[in-house]
Amino acid sequence: MKKFITRVRSALSGLLVPAISIVLTLIVASAILLLLGKNPVEVFLGFLRGSGMVLKPRYAGGQGILTDFFSYFSILTPMIFASLGVMLGLRAGLFNIGVAGQMLFPGFLASVLVGYSNLPSYLAWPLIILIGLVAGGAMGSLIGFLKHRFNIHEVVTSIMLNYIVSYVTAFFINTYFVDPVTRNSRTIKETSRLLISGKADGVRFDFPVGLIVALLAVFVIRFILDRTTVGFRINAVGLNKYCARYAGINVGGNIVLAMAMSGALAGLAGVTYYLGFANNMVPKDLVSLGYDSIAVAVLGNIAPVGTLFASILVTIFQKGSIYMSSNVGVPKDIASVIIGILLMFSASGLYIEDKLQHLGRTVRPKRDSKTDKDKAEEEQL
Amino acid sequence: MNIDKIMTDGLSFSLPLFIMAIGGIYSERSGVTMLSIEGFQGFGAFTGAITVVILRTAMGSSPNWLIYVATLASVLGGMLLALLNALMVIKLKSKMTIAGVVVNILAVALTSFLSSVITGAVTGQATNKIQLGVSPRYTIPYLSEIPVIGGLFQNIYPFAFIIIVVALLAWYVLYKTSYGLRLRAGGDNPHSLDAAGVDVNKIRFSAVVLAGGFAGLGGIAFTYMMANFSPSSYVGYGYLAIAALIFGNWNIRTTFWTSMFFGFSRSFSDQLVNELGMSSNYSDLFSVMPYVLTLIVLIFFSKHNRPPRALGEHFDKGKR
Repeated sequence: MKKFITRVRSALSGLLVPAISIVLTLIVASAILLLLGKNPVEVFLGFLRGSGMVLKPRYAGGQGILTDFFSYFSILTPMIFASLGVMLGLRAGLFNIGVAGQMLFPGFLASVLVGYSNLPSYLAWPLIILIGLVAGGAMGSLIGFLKHRFNIHEVVTSIMLNYIVSYVTAFFINTYFVDPVTRNSRTIKETSRLLISGKADGVRFDFPVGLIVALLAVFVIRFILDRTTVGFRINAVGLNKYCARYAGINVGGNIVLAMAMSGALAGLAGVTYYLGFANNMVPKDLVSLGYDSIAVAVLGNIAPVGTLFASILVTIFQKGSIYMSSNVGVPKDIASVIIGILLMFSASGLYIEDKLQHLGRTVRPKRDSKTDKDKAEEEQL
Repeated sequence: MNIDKIMTDGLSFSLPLFIMAIGGIYSERSGVTMLSIEGFQGFGAFTGAITVVILRTAMGSSPNWLIYVATLASVLGGMLLALLNALMVIKLKSKMTIAGVVVNILAVALTSFLSSVITGAVTGQATNKIQLGVSPRYTIPYLSEIPVIGGLFQNIYPFAFIIIVVALLAWYVLYKTSYGLRLRAGGDNPHSLDAAGVDVNKIRFSAVVLAGGFAGLGGIAFTYMMANFSPSSYVGYGYLAIAALIFGNWNIRTTFWTSMFFGFSRSFSDQLVNELGMSSNYSDLFSVMPYVLTLIVLIFFSKHNRPPRALGEHFDKGKR
């Protein structure tokens, strides 16, 4: 029982810093909205209504709160995958900023190879997931390999790859797969879209198949990181690679492995985005979700379950922004501003923690916080 | 093949890239990992562009000197955002790479948000594109007549002159003054700097803010080349500048040549598409060139590179 209480308490104190970041963000965002002469409550309600969490005043025929809620799920799915990918990279001390490109490439491949074919769903779905895993993983391991073998910073590589992928896929889309009307790529066959359509009370909804895989992935990654030697090595490399090398861990190999896993997760995000949430691709467009996922991973304390909760929160802003902007009249870019501010506060988590400790409260020490160092020094003495 | 055009375009692309890379060098030599050049560049350009629009509407005309006001505003805008970055990295001790990305995300978000709000209010149109006037361009007599390299002296943007002067100054300050020495010590051995009685964090702070100013100058030059500012102006030149400075081994003189290399390879591939008369789809394929080149170049040069020794570490006075 006592053990249980300490566990709950430590879980709650881990929530303190993200909670403070969220509150600070909401305050700053409200201030901006008030400056624009808009009612912040209306705007935040607009976000929630657009995400199917609060009833809208009216719905179009055949649609209801369930439609919005499930469509929120279908954008949540890639967000979970993408932020898990970023999180896994950060654990190994790698900053995977190229999630957007690692989403586009597998999404493009899956659309071209499977999306336009007549395969039945039960064959198409596993194939699409497989392509996402392999293509994303290949891109990730290339970045890891260049880092390990040639000492090229992963941020530079992944950004270069982002641009290369977006231009090259744009070329192929424009040349071979373009829809002459929309100028986007042709829409994929409904059978290969990762959605299960249903109807309840005359209200249509589409359930994203990927969501199950995403939730599964959260716990698989958690298990790998916390309970296996593979995860231990990745964590060790991320905490101190010199120390890890001294302990006999193959640092280079683990960098490549972590990047491959990170890329594979980004690949899954890609296929669930382009063949689930969307059904076509806009040439040269890298989705902002790839960058938002960094905010999510940092906000989620760089832990799998934290990342899941952070995805749920951040996706509300993303999904709800269009409805909010057409009904409240604030440009939808405010969503990215809010996410940016949120990211700013959560990146300063260490400072907030220090301030809190000054206030005399106990906060669970973060992985690389000062208290850890202090303890190590005490032990040395 | 139009050699003059390659020369002219190459130079007008490489100089802004060079000044942005100098910004990166300042910051990284002082020990602060710099990934937010892209953000400074865009935010600076946005400030410059919005200043032009507001002044133009207020005065009802657009005199030639507006371009210099825009430049100044852009430099200040870049510095303003750099201030935020410096605050996060030095005062709030956030991780430098993450802080860099935060600043980039904020820059893109703020500029797209503000440009839809402000252009809507000023011009009454629902667009996030800020139209700028056309910049005057100068051709130097006699020099422009020289075969092959004559193109370097034709149709020069006024920014080219500003950038060259600022770059020379930046070189002088970094290598010939005591401030420059301290700045470089901040990146290589901050503790000895501290022992010499210099406030390391102050030096780093100033270096990051200066980087913002340099990037803002580069940003307005790029923006006038495209004649308008829109949130889609973020095309990764800031990252290209980072690649140029890594390729240039964190040294201003070598970075000059690497920036030139990027600029001319770009204008060359553009001309190639034109010359071969290929459809516009293929220009996408050729746009990949600078990025692929960057990767290849880095593969060959990264191994022998010597980044500043204390790059990316927060200065901790008590550390042994």
